[in-house]
Amino acid sequence: MQAKAWKANFTTLTIVLIPVAVGINYVGKFFAATLKLPLWLDSIGTVLSGMLAGPWIGAISGAVNNAIFGITLDPVSFWYLITSIMIGLVVGYLAFTGWIRTPGRALVLGLVVAGVAAVVSTPINVLLWHGQTGNVWGDALYAALVHRGTPVWIASFLDEAVVDILDKVITVFLSFLIYKALPARLVKLFGGAHQEVESL
Amino acid sequence: MQLSLYVPGKTWVHRLDPITKLLAVLVAVVLTFVLPGFFSQAGILLVSLAMLGSAGVLRRAAPVLAGVFILPLTFFVVQGLVYPGNVHPAVALGPVVFYREGLLLGLSLTLRLYNILSAALILVLVTRPSDLVEALVRRGAPPRLGYVMIAVLQIIPIMVASTQTILDAQRSRGMETEGSLWVRIRAFLPLMGPLVTNSLISTEERALALEVRGFAGGGKRTFLKDEQIPPYAMAMRILVLAALVLGIGGRWLWGWR
Repeated sequence: MQAKAWKANFTTLTIVLIPVAVGINYVGKFFAATLKLPLWLDSIGTVLSGMLAGPWIGAISGAVNNAIFGITLDPVSFWYLITSIMIGLVVGYLAFTGWIRTPGRALVLGLVVAGVAAVVSTPINVLLWHGQTGNVWGDALYAALVHRGTPVWIASFLDEAVVDILDKVITVFLSFLIYKALPARLVKLFGGAHQEVESL
Repeated sequence: MQLSLYVPGKTWVHRLDPITKLLAVLVAVVLTFVLPGFFSQAGILLVSLAMLGSAGVLRRAAPVLAGVFILPLTFFVVQGLVYPGNVHPAVALGPVVFYREGLLLGLSLTLRLYNILSAALILVLVTRPSDLVEALVRRGAPPRLGYVMIAVLQIIPIMVASTQTILDAQRSRGMETEGSLWVRIRAFLPLMGPLVTNSLISTEERALALEVRGFAGGGKRTFLKDEQIPPYAMAMRILVLAALVLGIGGRWLWGWR
């Protein structure tokens, strides 16, 4: 089962899924802004492509997402390429081993993704901005921690984590709900359901 | 709706091929991390801004550079207050004391931010994204990856256009999009769901259309347009690489601190 999860799955269909995933990321962010939600919700497409087509397509969707916005709208997003790749990999792997079945597990996956995102982003934040994230709430925590003598690395990790946890848990949970509501025919098209068929 | 910030033009920076510009941006970013001191940082910033100026896009760069003002603000406030190396008080606002070392660190982080941003803007504002992707595919990037990058630029405006349709359709069924936070959160799924389903269904058609046109086939790919590389591009590349070698060599000779 584990070897199967890492199997490359590059068909025309899954490659066409990648730009769509990046589009979903963008529209998620757009709707969150339209509804004035205090979240970004800008990686739903990456998570969904991982659930539908596995870790590699998820990872590439994440990479293309940050590369495209790096050269068109937001140059700083290029630096966080690895964070997006890791999100796609983790979600895709766990989805393809059949681990994500219940809403409860989707919440746990959200926490895992938030943890991974924070771990990967922390060295980038330390290298670039001495550990700050530019998010006012996260940086307020960072300031309080460093003031008490907490090492910059740990303060930076917590700075990133408080910002990430809520956003990533909700992102993964919403993606799970969307995934579960998709027509079965569509899910099978990309290869996401073959485990479920096998487990019968 | 235009996704890219690209500004068309005919200046010498516009005519420079994407690879040379990419090289210049990478070198500027590397030098930002390699060179010490405020003057060299300010020097790189001036060179980048001069490039943007001679490409005639400073006016378009200004809102991007001003848009991130909150970041430098947090750098100065947070580092000025709590940077572990703080010794000498500089400014006191009542009980709140800003220290000299932290403020200097804030300044260097700010210069770094603006260096990275303004160097990248040479690529973002002056290079058509599809030209950059095409130049990369010419030099051995997988053509399918090239398709993916360019398709993103075409798909996003289409998807954003359909958001308004979905928004109107759901509102006409009585969905509330304003009010308390809980009301607004509940509105997210009914908006996102149809969009995801629609766009996934359309991938099947798009995949078929691509297959029919030989997308999955191997063989040598040809290009619709010829690549235009101006004669001064080579000189520019040598200049940029020389700057990189001088920067790293100088730093190596005088030690890494």
